Amino acid sequence: MAIDKVIEVPYALEIPVGPQHPALHEPILLKAYADGEEVVKVEVHTGYNHRGIEKLAEKNSFYRDIFIVSRVCGICNGVHANCFVRAVEQILGIEPSPRAKYLRVLAMELERMHSHMLINAVMAEIIGFDSLFMNIMRDREYIMKSKEIVTGNRVSADYMIFGGVRRDLSSDKIDKLRKLIDRVIPRIKYYKKLFMEDETILKRLVDVGVVKPSEATLYGLLGPVARASGVKIDARASDKYDAYGEIPFNVIVRNECDAWARMMVRWDEALESAKIIKYVLDHLPQDGKAVPDERRLPRRFPPGEAYTRVEAPRGELIYYVMSDGKPMPYRVKIRTPSVHNILNTAKFYIGYSIADLPVILTSWDPCISCMERLTIIDLRTGERRKVPMKELAGGGKKWVNPRYSL
Amino acid sequence: MIEEINELVKEGLLKEVGTIKPNRELYEFSHERIREIFKQLLERLGEKGFYLATIVGTDILKDKKIRLDYYVVVLPEETTIVLRTYVDRDNPEINSILDLIPAALAPECEIHDLLGVVFKGNPALRRPFFVPEELVEKGIYPLRKDARV
Repeated sequence: MAIDKVIEVPYALEIPVGPQHPALHEPILLKAYADGEEVVKVEVHTGYNHRGIEKLAEKNSFYRDIFIVSRVCGICNGVHANCFVRAVEQILGIEPSPRAKYLRVLAMELERMHSHMLINAVMAEIIGFDSLFMNIMRDREYIMKSKEIVTGNRVSADYMIFGGVRRDLSSDKIDKLRKLIDRVIPRIKYYKKLFMEDETILKRLVDVGVVKPSEATLYGLLGPVARASGVKIDARASDKYDAYGEIPFNVIVRNECDAWARMMVRWDEALESAKIIKYVLDHLPQDGKAVPDERRLPRRFPPGEAYTRVEAPRGELIYYVMSDGKPMPYRVKIRTPSVHNILNTAKFYIGYSIADLPVILTSWDPCISCMERLTIIDLRTGERRKVPMKELAGGGKKWVNPRYSL
Repeated sequence: MIEEINELVKEGLLKEVGTIKPNRELYEFSHERIREIFKQLLERLGEKGFYLATIVGTDILKDKKIRLDYYVVVLPEETTIVLRTYVDRDNPEINSILDLIPAALAPECEIHDLLGVVFKGNPALRRPFFVPEELVEKGIYPLRKDARV
């Protein structure tokens, strides 16, 4: 009898990791193909969170855009606003006072500290070390409190404005900040020691997700991911924006190239940020007004273009702003570090076990809301169809039980 | 000015045209030579010598052109330079550099979806990437200046 049917046994199992909270509480789908325990291919699927902010920025005035861009990302809203504000300041040809520059650095470094503490806490949670997660998050609250003292809000600060900042800092607040920072520094040192010595952490992180230095530059990886692979890039040191030219600090670089090195870079940077914050508090210039009179800010924007970089907690953040002389920008381009660190890294999961997937994903410090403002990528599955939200909400029979549909 | 870039200017691959604030050197080139330029950069600066920061696509409606700015950060000093080229708005095509520089994946796919530029040789290009399907069916590219979204 002739064979008329063949049953193919797949050698690789398809495992969706996400999109509901694969590691962080943000939506992304890693479609992993596994041969036994070993990951052989990963596709990064995104597109659960898109908002179209670049077009929105083109449709609104420069002043409204400050508040729009600071909503690109919750964690690093200060650096987004700073990068946009500095780009527009370049076009306008205005410069903030030295005091305002120092205060901007203060707000951004507080952001870096709490962002790095957050991702290290999440890493602890991912590898099953929940008590460590809770401890780090408790100590992170001191930083959130500090940020509230400086900017008026724990998270969404809206601190930057053309020509300065929107709140000044009084001397009694400076004393409060000093106390809070002094309380956090020994805790961070303790956590760093824990990450260096704890056997569970070392077993899960060391030699996982290795990125060679040449791959880091070729794939355009940024921030702590690149620095943990021995690539010394830091926009603070090279562009010397705001007051970074006057403040001494070290660029942390490690050569281990793995997930552990990336987390250690973040701990060291958090300590470095604490040093910068203390320096700023000790050397806050008294000359010049930090808060500009908003009624006197320019209403006309000359034609021009500017391209500014900021070292966000996750790496180099870029804003390109083009003005054609109208009250609204002609073009605003935002490139966040997460775009490169998430989308270009599908290759680096291959060869590790399924349990390593969330560890590697977390080690990039992915910020989905940063990324999804612009692009969605789907590498090789051209034939797959996405279900529109409308269809889901409208009770697409195939997908949703009609009893529960709207 | 970076020496290797200066050599490319002398060889006629790039043309110096000015700066973008703050102090980013701006060079123009003809879009047919894109691959040649990036091959030269890889050869002269090395894999570890630079990275592609991003590509910015802008619709210049009055000239009927789409402008593409390739932002390259030269290491170790982290000097950002801008390589600018224009493609025709009605038939926007340029060669992809994805096989030379994997970092081009995200920006090329984004510009294809938002502005409709075709990067020839990039297998990952696809619509819709994130633009809703209704807009794709109507052939709307949201970041084009005449698009009403």
